[in-house]
Amino acid sequence: MNLVYYFIQQIVNAVSAGSLYAVMAVGLAMVFGILRLINFAYGDQMMVAAYLAVFGLGAGLPLPVALLLMVVGSIVLGLMMERVAYRPLRGAPDVALLLSSFAVGQILQNSTLLATRLAGLPIQMTFAAPDILSGVLTFGPITVAKLNIVSLVAGLVILLLLTIFVTRTDLGLAMRASAEDLTAAQLVGINLNRVIATAFAISSALAAVAGLLYAAQAGQINPFMGFTPVIKAFIAAVIGGFGSLPGAVLGGYLLGGLEVLLTAIPGIGDILPPGMAPPAVQQFLQTYLPGSLSSWRDAFVFIVLIAVLIFRPNGILGGPQREEMR
Amino acid sequence: MSPGLRRVIASLGIVAVLAVLLYWLSVYGSSFWQGLAINLGMFLILVVSLNLFNGFTGVFSLGHIGFMALGAYVAAILTLPIASKQAYLPNLPGWLAGLSLDGMVGPFPVGFLFATVIAASLVALLAFGVGLVLMRLSGHYVAVATLGFLIIVRVTLFNADTFTRGSRTFSNITAYTDLWWVYGWAVLAIYVVWRLKFSAFGRAMAAQREDRWAAQSVGIATMPPRLLAFVVSAFFTAVAGALYAHFITSMSPNVFYFDLTFRVITMLVLGGLGSVSGSIVGTVIIVGLAEALRRIEDVTLFYGMSNIIIAVILLFLIIFRRQGLLGQRELNLAWLFGKSTSPSNKENKQP
Amino acid sequence: MKVRIIALLAVSVLLLAACAPAGSSQTAAPAAESAAAPAADTIKIGGGFALTGDESVLDLPAANGAKLAAKEINAAGGALGKPIDFIVHDSQYKMDVTAQTAKQFVEEDKVIGLIGYTDTDSVLAAGPTIQKAGIPFLTAGGTSPKIPAQVGDMMFLAAFGDNVQAAAGAEYGVNNFGKSAYLLYDKGVEYTTLLGDYFKTAFVDLGGTIVLEDSYDDDTTDFSAQIAKVKALPEQPSFYYVAAMPYNVGTVVKQFRDAGLTGPIIGGDGYDDPSWIAAAGEAANNVFFSTHALNDATAGSDAYKKFFAAYSTEYGHAPENAFAALGYDSVYLFVDALERAGSTDAQAIKKALEETKGFPGITGAITFTPDQHVPQKGVTIIALKDGKYTLGAEIVPTKIPAP
Repeated sequence: MNLVYYFIQQIVNAVSAGSLYAVMAVGLAMVFGILRLINFAYGDQMMVAAYLAVFGLGAGLPLPVALLLMVVGSIVLGLMMERVAYRPLRGAPDVALLLSSFAVGQILQNSTLLATRLAGLPIQMTFAAPDILSGVLTFGPITVAKLNIVSLVAGLVILLLLTIFVTRTDLGLAMRASAEDLTAAQLVGINLNRVIATAFAISSALAAVAGLLYAAQAGQINPFMGFTPVIKAFIAAVIGGFGSLPGAVLGGYLLGGLEVLLTAIPGIGDILPPGMAPPAVQQFLQTYLPGSLSSWRDAFVFIVLIAVLIFRPNGILGGPQREEMR
Repeated sequence: MSPGLRRVIASLGIVAVLAVLLYWLSVYGSSFWQGLAINLGMFLILVVSLNLFNGFTGVFSLGHIGFMALGAYVAAILTLPIASKQAYLPNLPGWLAGLSLDGMVGPFPVGFLFATVIAASLVALLAFGVGLVLMRLSGHYVAVATLGFLIIVRVTLFNADTFTRGSRTFSNITAYTDLWWVYGWAVLAIYVVWRLKFSAFGRAMAAQREDRWAAQSVGIATMPPRLLAFVVSAFFTAVAGALYAHFITSMSPNVFYFDLTFRVITMLVLGGLGSVSGSIVGTVIIVGLAEALRRIEDVTLFYGMSNIIIAVILLFLIIFRRQGLLGQRELNLAWLFGKSTSPSNKENKQP
Repeated sequence: MKVRIIALLAVSVLLLAACAPAGSSQTAAPAAESAAAPAADTIKIGGGFALTGDESVLDLPAANGAKLAAKEINAAGGALGKPIDFIVHDSQYKMDVTAQTAKQFVEEDKVIGLIGYTDTDSVLAAGPTIQKAGIPFLTAGGTSPKIPAQVGDMMFLAAFGDNVQAAAGAEYGVNNFGKSAYLLYDKGVEYTTLLGDYFKTAFVDLGGTIVLEDSYDDDTTDFSAQIAKVKALPEQPSFYYVAAMPYNVGTVVKQFRDAGLTGPIIGGDGYDDPSWIAAAGEAANNVFFSTHALNDATAGSDAYKKFFAAYSTEYGHAPENAFAALGYDSVYLFVDALERAGSTDAQAIKKALEETKGFPGITGAITFTPDQHVPQKGVTIIALKDGKYTLGAEIVPTKIPAP
């Protein structure tokens, strides 16, 4: 295969991976913007949504109905979580919310484990992706998974809808106000409970979508599957600008790009067509870009994250740091 | 008798009682109960050290288990007998391959002591560097950044497989750890943390925890006390790691990750962020509770229930009683035994 | 205030409570738990498994298989004329708890042997205690051939070593497809890292060349970056060797096929999992893997079909993966050795285990020798044709990489 096509394919891969992360990150960013809550239970919300989807599809429901069930179920769960575990902590230090979300995540994981076992279900269940999400489309030598196209479209649509919502509707405006200053928003008469509940509902709906996409790609679900997605969504959201919705999307694409880059470049010495480059260059590439660079991906990503936190704590799209007198 | 002298005698008394208990346990206890006691001791060190940073300075670190991991691996690499090194770590650089701190002086494993101290010191040095970078952040940003540190350590351990065997289990570590080592270090850690709390540094830490700006405005610098707390807590956390490695005698990077972090934090929050005796109480309760629940699970087959219960407890604490059982106060033994508060007792109460 | 006294009281109560069930966990066990009447005169065998935590995906089926075996043995009269008390403790996939349960098995339950675990970490956490107690330790799913050397002479594996199955995979590849290969392995798990390593050694030994080697993280769900590199190769290798965990196999294979890579894919016993095959549809073609035996509900042996039916009845769903069968075999293997030993003496059982020749497990015929506690099992290569298990070959590899 032509080297040019190789790079194009890898770029396509990066955009694909990024789309999935972007969808995951936006939901997380929604809640952080207003509540300053890093919702570590988000991955587990995705997991529960995936289980709901599996049950729905398994019970023979048509796809749209199963999706509706999944989204509604996820919203109900999210609202319950907000009411029970987060609302009592309003005004508490940020760390308390973070720990609370850890605890909620543990409860969700182990409850799912217990429930599925008692119901006689295997611990790991297959997720048979519906047709629209499985298989690939080919454009000449370039292949794109249908799932990734759906993620890309979904991500952009979500971003568009949310932007309209926060800029054009009253409720959205109220949410932006609360994100900027919770106390001031209350002072001007904004019903915080309603605003926060809305934010959680939207976030949970997004978790459902993200959960569906993630499970479709992984092909199977288990009670502990939410851990990796939440870490990735978290990284994406912070790099891009925590609380900024476009930032979360940008962060998602940056993360996807970085991941693919760290896999695509190393080992390139082995795949160059013979004669493409002088043997000296080929040798150089094979020695200094060994295939094992991708192992360092997570570390690299977090170093970038820490650098961002230090120099641009509000992320790439957030403004320069404002010192808070809290 | 002056309150100072009374305190010293009381402390020595506690240590003496502990020594007697340990002796009894080591002679008559089954290895199961000894094991439980050793686990308790290791968690005590972890929780008290974490409290020094999270509780006293008010800055929350989620990455301390990374220090534990580094302490465990460095100490284990140092004490691994040369023959095992050749079998399991064949590609070590020459100077390390020939080095094995497994010397004994009589019955006392001197090598183990050296290895632990060296490992913990190296980790403390690293903590100094990491702290310089991370301590500028505040609030949840530090929590996030330290979480990143935990993950970076884990990835490094996976990749540096010439030293750590990567994802393959690091095994056949000599089983040096016993009750005396664990509780010896635990007593030391508690003593150091206690002294720090009631020192000038401790007051500086408390001041900048309560109100960073007010503290700065009266001339208390934020960095030095935070950094000191970070480094000291990293030191003892690494010690706990070394003890762990030489107790279970095997490990892999998967051990030192979120699960352990979550457990330690639960014990910390239960006892009270900022209270040394609270950490002890919280640790004992959770370790005891986890064991009791585990047995109940085995009998009732409700596997997963113990994790749920402990998570619910944490949730309750955070919502309803965030200061945990003791908040920032210390357990006052005199009160516990029903003495009414008199002027001499009031002096005993520490701020 | 009062909180402190209550706290101290609670602590003491809890510690007492922790002591109390120690005696009662056996005698008070509900009928569903142990397969035997909790009488004083039973054969106590320990079952250590991670029933919660990440590894539970593999350990839970193994535990289920083992419990089923114990139940069947008791229904047939037990071992040495007495019922078996198969005592299971959850290690929660926490290594300190694993070490503690090992001590519990030895001191409180007083088991005559321990069966359990599917991963090396847990085996090594429990190993030292069991070895020190001098009772046999049979791991249902651990496949690292180094384990017996690491733990001691009471350690036995029920599954063949990864070096053996990797060698078999390499031989099959060379004999059927060619001498160039692409290697992809999961670098976050010991099993796949070792498998990939052994394959490389064995393959090169047989004269093959690895044209490209790559790896991925255990939690990867998107392999397009790695696949793009394969597609970019100037010439496709004769086959692809992919060392993957059961939960990744389906995704990898499917994405390979979707990208147009139709060449043969060879893997290890992690592929032995019916659920991904059902979900992969057409992609489950031209895929080969080394495993213990042909475990298929339609094409398998009669013994396997019997197990399949019994498991499905007992637990309400089909056996999830090969570990269910391995757990089942481990218990039968242990009891077989017990019967041959004629007593519950640990050394006698150990000797009987070492003398096992061709024990007819549903995962293959098991043979041990005094210096080989990793079973000599022929490796079965399964060929997947359109999602159906067929027998590819039975190989006893000639050149095996050293552990």
